Amino acid sequence: MQNASRRKFLGLCLGGLGMAGAVAGAYSVLSYLAPLSDEGTGGKISFSVTEIPPNGAKFFDFRGTTGVVIRKQSGELVALSAICTHLGCIVQWEQDKQDFLCPCHGGRYNSDGSVISGPPPRPLEKLAINITNGIVTVG
Amino acid sequence: MSPLKSIYHWLDARIGVGELVEKRLTGYLLPRSINAWYSLGSVLLVIFALQVITGILLLVYYVPDAEKAFKSVSSIMNDVPFGWLIRMCHAVGSNMMVAVLMLHMLSVLFMGSYKSPRELNWVTGFILFNLVLGISLTGYLLPWSQLSFWATTVATNSAGAIPVIGKYLVEFLRGGKLVGPPTLGRFFSVHVALLPLLIGAFIGGHLFLLERIGVSTPPFGLKETKNTWQGDRFRYDAHPGGIPFFPNYMLQDLTSILIYLAIFFCVVFFTPYIFFPPTAFVPADPYKTPAHIKPEWYFLANYQTLKVFPNELLGLLVQGVVMTFLALFPFIDRGRERHPFKRPLFLACFISGIILYIAMAIWGHYS
Repeated sequence: MQNASRRKFLGLCLGGLGMAGAVAGAYSVLSYLAPLSDEGTGGKISFSVTEIPPNGAKFFDFRGTTGVVIRKQSGELVALSAICTHLGCIVQWEQDKQDFLCPCHGGRYNSDGSVISGPPPRPLEKLAINITNGIVTVG
Repeated sequence: MSPLKSIYHWLDARIGVGELVEKRLTGYLLPRSINAWYSLGSVLLVIFALQVITGILLLVYYVPDAEKAFKSVSSIMNDVPFGWLIRMCHAVGSNMMVAVLMLHMLSVLFMGSYKSPRELNWVTGFILFNLVLGISLTGYLLPWSQLSFWATTVATNSAGAIPVIGKYLVEFLRGGKLVGPPTLGRFFSVHVALLPLLIGAFIGGHLFLLERIGVSTPPFGLKETKNTWQGDRFRYDAHPGGIPFFPNYMLQDLTSILIYLAIFFCVVFFTPYIFFPPTAFVPADPYKTPAHIKPEWYFLANYQTLKVFPNELLGLLVQGVVMTFLALFPFIDRGRERHPFKRPLFLACFISGIILYIAMAIWGHYS
């Protein structure tokens, strides 16, 4: 009886150790495979205001997706997410029409990101923008 | 009936799990005098599995491009969570695999387990040893550090001493006249695809032979230690009255695996850079040869042999002869006696061979 309980105790210890090792291994591997975060820059992106052409747009990687800053005819700068709210394609800036076109299914947005036509259910997400000393900071 | 028992019965009715367990585990009998050295094969299987798993994980972030390889490895080490752990396990594991494989081969030699009818077990094992050296050599280049670059330059350059084809062979290995981006592409594909497949296939063959012929009996503690197989027809080496593989010997396998893992993780956590000289942390520069480039410890004896002989071809020839002799050893040593203490010539060669190998490696390290 004493032997049986000792064996059970040792078995439980060994099983516990094995389980702890498996959990530690699984945690390491899952952390290794998890997408990397942008903590280093606080998720913000900066560039010179001169990189945005008149009436044009600048696309950039933003928090793992794509953002865009456009310069409207009035000179105002607008920052938006470039992800179409329909099925997630990247919209394109049409300089001559001053609107966004999603080439996937023909969705159109105006320069403020509001839906003009097509299937998109929501406007483009607006991003915070700040211009200081000729440097544009988005996010 | 408990859910586990229900699953067991469901499987047993379809694929005969009970019979399989009886035949391959509880009814698979091993010699009563079997010792811990026989478990090194299982340790090697675990090491190979760990190398495959960590290798696949490294492929998630590694970029096989000469411009980006070093940066991607640095990123794995510094930016990716637990990337250092995965890479260190892979790098330390490759060294440990060579070391354990050497111990496995030495134990097989010492106990005369290579003798007939197990010549093919030895030959497949010897091929596996060479494939493991090859996968270690090709993996060495991938971080694209100064160490990787120049160690590969020296290693591939040795092939140039072979008469007539040497020059072409070097260019073929490198994919150009010098080590460069084409070499990385070649070594990468060989390291992650060709050699793992070959090693897997030879492990399968090695295990098939072990299963088909049966486990050898250690020559210790027996009155009769001579080989009794006559060589006339196939005979499975059964061990009636022996110990079952499960649970008895599997416990020994598990003990050896856990001892190995304890040593392995001690190296990974406490001396992770034991296999990394300072040049391993500098990106490759084809215009700047670092001083004192040395190969990995398991190639140091070969490196020193090349230096000892005045002619590089002679050095290569001597190594070729030694390797051929070892590969064909079961066909050369045809004596029936298996006990090492009853084979004085073998024992003298065995001990002096080990001493010579270690001495050459130490000399190579300090030369």
